[in-house]
Amino acid sequence: MSAGTNNGGWVGKRLPRKEDNRLLRGRGKFVDDIKLRDMLYLKFVRSPYAHAKVTSPNTSAAEAVPGVVCTLTGAEIAKQTNPFIEIGPDPFARIKDYPLAVSKVRYQGEPVAAVVATSPQIADDAAELVQVEYESLDAVIDGEEALKDAVVLHEDAGTNRVWRGVFEYGDIEKAFREAAHIVRIDKMHFHRFSSTPLENNAVIGQWDPRDEHIYYWCNNSFPSFAMQFIAAHLGVPIDRIRVQTFDIGGSFGIKITSYPQMSVCALASKKAGGRPVKWIETRSEHIISSAHGNERTFRDTRVALDKDGVITAIDSRHIDDCGAYPRYEPLGCVIWAQVFPGVYRFRNARIDFSQAVTNKCPVGPNRGYSRMQHLWFVERVVDICAHQLGIPPDEMRLRNYIRPEEFPYTTPNGCVYDSGNYPKMLQVAKEQIGWEDWKKKQAAARTEGRWMGIGIGTTLDSGTNNFGQSQIVNPNAPFSGNSQGANCKLDIYGEVVVAVGSCPQGQGHETTAAQVVADVLNIHPDLVTVRTGFDTERNVHTGASGTYASQFAVSGLSAVHGAAQKLKAEMKRLAAFLLESKEENLEFGVGQQGPQILAKDSGKSVNYWRLANIVNVNSAVLPAELYELTLNCRYIWRAPFKVPDTEKKYGSLTLTYASQLHIAVVEIDRETFIPRILAYVAVDDCGKVINPPIVEGQVYGATAHGIGAALMERCVYDAVGNMLTATFSDYTPITSMNMPDVKYAHIETPSPHSYSGAKGMGEGGAAPLHTISAALQDALFSRGIVVSDSFNNADTLYRAIVAKEIYRADKLVKVEKGAPKTARI
Amino acid sequence: MAIKFGGDFEVARSPEEVYDFLTDPRKFAPLLPDFQGMEVQDERHFAVKVNVGISYIKGTANVKMELAEATRPNRAQYKGQGSVAGGNVSLTAGFDLIPAGGGTKVAWQGEAQIFGRLTSVAGGLLEPLGKKNVQKLIDGLQAALR
Repeated sequence: MSAGTNNGGWVGKRLPRKEDNRLLRGRGKFVDDIKLRDMLYLKFVRSPYAHAKVTSPNTSAAEAVPGVVCTLTGAEIAKQTNPFIEIGPDPFARIKDYPLAVSKVRYQGEPVAAVVATSPQIADDAAELVQVEYESLDAVIDGEEALKDAVVLHEDAGTNRVWRGVFEYGDIEKAFREAAHIVRIDKMHFHRFSSTPLENNAVIGQWDPRDEHIYYWCNNSFPSFAMQFIAAHLGVPIDRIRVQTFDIGGSFGIKITSYPQMSVCALASKKAGGRPVKWIETRSEHIISSAHGNERTFRDTRVALDKDGVITAIDSRHIDDCGAYPRYEPLGCVIWAQVFPGVYRFRNARIDFSQAVTNKCPVGPNRGYSRMQHLWFVERVVDICAHQLGIPPDEMRLRNYIRPEEFPYTTPNGCVYDSGNYPKMLQVAKEQIGWEDWKKKQAAARTEGRWMGIGIGTTLDSGTNNFGQSQIVNPNAPFSGNSQGANCKLDIYGEVVVAVGSCPQGQGHETTAAQVVADVLNIHPDLVTVRTGFDTERNVHTGASGTYASQFAVSGLSAVHGAAQKLKAEMKRLAAFLLESKEENLEFGVGQQGPQILAKDSGKSVNYWRLANIVNVNSAVLPAELYELTLNCRYIWRAPFKVPDTEKKYGSLTLTYASQLHIAVVEIDRETFIPRILAYVAVDDCGKVINPPIVEGQVYGATAHGIGAALMERCVYDAVGNMLTATFSDYTPITSMNMPDVKYAHIETPSPHSYSGAKGMGEGGAAPLHTISAALQDALFSRGIVVSDSFNNADTLYRAIVAKEIYRADKLVKVEKGAPKTARI
Repeated sequence: MAIKFGGDFEVARSPEEVYDFLTDPRKFAPLLPDFQGMEVQDERHFAVKVNVGISYIKGTANVKMELAEATRPNRAQYKGQGSVAGGNVSLTAGFDLIPAGGGTKVAWQGEAQIFGRLTSVAGGLLEPLGKKNVQKLIDGLQAALR
């Protein structure tokens, strides 16, 4: 289709991504592609110890190397900066977090010094000459152990407990008194893993002495958050910090917490006389020290059910391990509550939630942040109860799902699920996978002694969060609501130009923003230019701008839509004057001279070039009453949130709830214990689909991410805090070679909470974790095995099946009330 | 990661002679496998350099040693801390000397804690390599005290 033709209705069309033209030709612009004059290169010196006292590093040998311009130590930084802001309340508000360790290291890989040189190779070599004296201290690597405070990481806090809160709703005791069945699960564990974006963290920082401004060219994925931390840390007015992002090779949330490295680059630049300083993270640095996902342990879970297996209450104690420094935490202590009951109807619940620091890499938001841990827990509870009570897992879910007619559904903690149809998704998924056929194959396989299981995983992807939930963890936190900015203008030659405050990493914002504007102006999306990446000087960002938390489809595109509507209104006023017509007689479209506005009464038209020309260049013809027109329209979209009730921990925490339902058929090899996926289906519901290929791509990506996490990827630490999976050889990220064929299907339940009916999506990475755990459970339940960890490879399955060291149902699960289904060991 | 080791052997020399040998860095240190050199700071502190090679990771380890316990002629214990490319090591090595017949029974025990990326790159090789080197040290001690 030519750019001049327009059929309208671009939202919802299978439009190829605009950005693919440059990305697939290798013409993307990433941070490492940027070369600046007099640029220097930074290398971090990292601690081999997980917990140790350090004396100030001796950098003299490194500084003597030709080509080394300067070095930095934690002591130097502490003298000239403030510790980073802590989001949480006392006592953790008192800890001192600097980007380089000052007197103590708290995780293996923590930076203790930095070397700046004229080439990356010189910086690498010189970094090895920095001498650091360590006095090893006992390390604590388990969250539950950390809460005992036998080893304390941060003396200023005096405890390892970052936060504790009890989330209680309904009448727990009554529900347990009246229960027909009570199931107790001793312990479950959600493992630690991370993301493996194609591009690691990268930043160029320049503290320019000529204007005392700090310039960043980086791939941070939440710059407006990073800037607030950096400005307070460096003591610089935030308006003097310019951040630009470009093409970004994936983030999955992990790049939100690169602000410490950004600070070091700026300080190094200052020390080097204002020369720009580049830091490109290596892969092993990324694995060992960027950010991991939250690890969580679920203790003493009690589940009350009625005679039909409908869950009436859950009571549990959760311990989150956030690694050595809270940084983005303790937000994860409340963000899980966005999906408190998962997709289920139970109204009574009590979760006693604690978070601890340990001598491991700090955590950061990671695809499905904090919610996937909780949703995995809820799904395991449902699945374990189903097996214990002898209810088929699909039937168990149907009995417990929130029903379609109940939407919008207010959860026990005040969140409003906008729309959904979980039974329909289950039906579609069963049809797609061929449920009945697989059940027959499974029965046949079992007669042959094979271990085959079918698992269902239902999950939620809550998008566009209410930052007011931060006040539940810290009533003094100065955040609430959510906002996104966009600008839409007719440039001086009439080009439609859109700028947004997001920093896409593969989500196709360029394309979807163009689709939205094209529909507003009734032109082809190719006639809409979308400025890619984030730039503070475009002045379209708010304090919540960035790309995270599944929100662009709602917040970002609502801002774009608002800006386009403002522009359209201005264009109408101007065109009505020029065409001597009434606004209601004007029609937007494309004519022989390109995009235009036509007066239907006279047949006269004006093209975009002339409109822009009159406002910007030929302005003497403009009457005074139209002077206010700029054709350059900024719009800030604000989510309709209120501050939650911080005492009751009650309120709307998220605007939209996309959902995913996956089914997997898994067989465990009886010789090697390797679990293999025989069939897999992913059904998605993100409301109105703006661009189907983009949604499908994100579903496949998230599914790969989740399968990798479930079967291959985990961060392993030994007892003294050595990370044993610091390279891809050991971390074993999933690749196309390991991916099964995934069938994709979707349903649409439009959201009443967004102008387009769309919901944020892209974080359905948790679904395979639930699904594969459930499939393994189904395969092994008859052997007395209850899957209680989110990570399962051949080794864990051998330990469960043969060695009987883990997953023993007789030790993990107890049916206190009602008749259990007896499991054979 | 931690590597623990221990054992005992008997020599014909008296506990005093064995003790004096073990607590003299100039005699003791050269028995360390792949010993390259040493620098004595005082009678209780010295630093040694040893070659380290684990697969493709090769380099020199600088280890600072301290004679932490010295009870003549019953017990001597060393503590050490060193660094090599990709990791650090903290170690303790103790010797209990028990009169046995006309000679001495030497009961030895120790632990090495390895820190750093070395453990993930070469983790599986460290324990057998460590045990092999400890055995070399003990063999050397036995030979020297013969």
